[in-house]
Amino acid sequence: MKIIVTIKQVPNVTKVKWDADGSLIRAGLPTIINPVDKHAIEAALELKEKHGGEVIVISMGPGQVESALREALCMGADQAIQLTDRKFAGADTWATSYALGCAIKKIGDYDLVISGVEAMDGNTAQVGPQMAEFLGLPLLSYALGIESDGKKVQIQQKLGDFERKIEADFPALVTVEKEINEYRVTPMDKILEAFEKEIPVWEADDVDAELVHLGLKGSPTKLRKVFSPKIEKGKVQMLEGTPEEIARQVADKLNEKFLI
Amino acid sequence: MDFTLSPINKMVIKAGKDFCERIVPEIDAYMAEHGDYPPDLLEKYAKARMLGFDVPKEYGGLATTNFNLILLIEEFGKTGSTCFLPLLMNNSVAETICHWGSEEVKKKFVPPLCDGSAWATMAFTEPDTGSDPKMLTTTATPDGDDFIINGCKRFISMANKPGYGVFICKDLSLAGQPHDSTAFIIDKKSPGISCSGHYELTGLDGADTCDIYFNNVRVPKENILGKQGQGFNVLLRWISGERIQQAAGMVGVGHQAYLEAKKYSMQRIVNGMPMGYMQGFYWMLGEMKVKIDACRLMVYNAVCKQDAGKNFDTASAEVKVFTTPLIQEVTRMAVQFHGSYGYSKEYLVEKLFRIAMHQGVVASSLEINKTIVGMTALMSK
Repeated sequence: MKIIVTIKQVPNVTKVKWDADGSLIRAGLPTIINPVDKHAIEAALELKEKHGGEVIVISMGPGQVESALREALCMGADQAIQLTDRKFAGADTWATSYALGCAIKKIGDYDLVISGVEAMDGNTAQVGPQMAEFLGLPLLSYALGIESDGKKVQIQQKLGDFERKIEADFPALVTVEKEINEYRVTPMDKILEAFEKEIPVWEADDVDAELVHLGLKGSPTKLRKVFSPKIEKGKVQMLEGTPEEIARQVADKLNEKFLI
Repeated sequence: MDFTLSPINKMVIKAGKDFCERIVPEIDAYMAEHGDYPPDLLEKYAKARMLGFDVPKEYGGLATTNFNLILLIEEFGKTGSTCFLPLLMNNSVAETICHWGSEEVKKKFVPPLCDGSAWATMAFTEPDTGSDPKMLTTTATPDGDDFIINGCKRFISMANKPGYGVFICKDLSLAGQPHDSTAFIIDKKSPGISCSGHYELTGLDGADTCDIYFNNVRVPKENILGKQGQGFNVLLRWISGERIQQAAGMVGVGHQAYLEAKKYSMQRIVNGMPMGYMQGFYWMLGEMKVKIDACRLMVYNAVCKQDAGKNFDTASAEVKVFTTPLIQEVTRMAVQFHGSYGYSKEYLVEKLFRIAMHQGVVASSLEINKTIVGMTALMSK
C-alpha cells in the first residue's frame, strides 16, 4: 500500500504578525506539525504496519518546513518530499491544493492520500477536499476511524451529530479528525534513521505546475484585511444567593438573550 | 568541549518530553496505587525503542550514544516519577553484558533486555557488605559444569521481576586468591530464589526494591560474565555509567524543582506583587539555576568521556561528588520557596526533594565517591 500524507507546518504561538499582503510572517516563529496532521501520519503508519507498503510525507512551505518533514520521518515515514519555491509563496487554499496535487501526481501510483481535516492556523478544511477534486479522487472526509482490505478504504465519518460508514475503491483521499488515533511517541530508532535520509526539495518546475495557478497570483482568495480581534473588557455581574437561586438567575439571563 | 545539541539530540529530547507528558502520568498513577511498576512498563519502553542505547543493533540495540540516553533521562527526571529506574537498568546491564560477555552470552541475554521481555538487575550489596568485595558472603561453589549460589543480596531493584540479573558473588574456586569475586548472570526465576517484600523508601515512590535470597541455586559456568575473579571490575565499570545516568535524572529533578519555584514565584502575590520580584527570592532562583546548569555540564563532560571510550571512572565519581549536594540543596530551596506548601504532598517539590535524597546513598554512596576522587588525586602525577 502506497500512502501519501500531506502535512502543514504551523506556528506554535497565540499571537502572529502579517505582512502587507496579509501573509503570515513566519520568520523566527516556533513551529510545529499541524496537530491533526500527526494523526494523519499515524493513520498511515498503522495501515502500512497492517498491509505493508510505504508512507511518503509531503509538505509545501518555506525552507524551515524541512524540520516538520524530518519529524515525520522520525515518526516512521519512509520518505519525505519538500515543496519549496518562491513561486508557491502567498498561496491560498486553492493554490496550495493545486501545488500539492501536482506533487502527488508526480509521485504517482499511490493508493491513498491522507491529510488532517484542517490546519490550526487557517481552519478552512478546504485543502483536502480540493486536492481530491483536482486529482479526481473519491473524498472520505472527517474520518474517526479508517480500515482497509488493501483494495478499498472504509472510514467512520463524523457528520455533526451523527456518524456513518462510507467506503471507496483505491485510490482515494481521506481527511482525518484528531480522535482517529493516539499518535505514537517518536521511536528512538526511527529518529536515528531519519537523520540519515535525504529530503528532496521540489520546485514548481519539478511538479510540472503552471505558474498561473501558483502562489499569491494564482490564488482566487483576495484578502481585504487581516487583524487581531480586539480584546475588550466585559461587564461582570456578580450573582448572589444559594447555588439553586444563582443557577436560576443564570438560566433567566441566558433566556433573555435567547441563548437557551 | 562543545556541548551544542545536534538535531538528533534535540529530537531525542522532544520524544522524551512527549513520552513524559503523555505516558508517564498513567504509569505514575499505577505506581502510586500499587507501590510497584506496571507489569507492561518495559513493553512501553520497548515500543518507544528506549532500551539498548549503547548496544549494537545485532543484539537488538540502537547503537547510539550514552549522551542521547542521558538527555532522555533528564526529561524523565523532570516528572518526579521513579518509573525510569528500570529503563536505566535494562540499558546499563545490556551494555555491561555486551562489554564483558562472550558471543554466546551476548546473543542469549542481551536481546530480551532490549525488547523488554526481561527485567534487568545488578546486585552487589549485601546485609553486611558495603563496598569491599572481600566482605562478600554470597558464595558460588563449583559443582561439575555448574556453580551453586547461596546467600542474600540487599536493596536490589527489580529483584523479584522476571528476567536476568548480574550477581557478584564470592567465588569459592578462587579461595585464597587476591581477586575472588565473579559475576554470574542468573535467571531470577531459577529454583531456589526467593525475595522479601518491598522496602518502604523515603523517596523513589513505587520503586520495587527488596532482598533476594539464594538457596542452592544452580547456575551453569557459561553464565559467568567476564572472567572468574573479575566480578568487582564488572561492578565498578557498570556503576561508573550508572552514576552518570542517575545524575542526569537528578539534574532533571533539580531543573524541575527550579521551574516549580519560578512558577510559584509568579503566582504568589505578596504586598501586591509577585514574590519572585523580591530580591531574596530572585537571588534564590538565580542560585538554583546556576547550580543546575553546572551539574548538567558535569554530567555532559563525563558522558562524553564514556562515549569517547576513555576511562571515565573518576569523571563519573566526580559527577556524584559535585552534583549530589547541589541538587539536594536546589530541591531543598524549592521546598523552602513554597513555604508550608512545599512541605505538602499537594506540591511536586515535596516529591522532588525526597527523590533527590536517594542520590547520596544509591548506586554507591557520596562518601565512597569522595574516596575515589581523593585517592585518584593523591596518586596522580
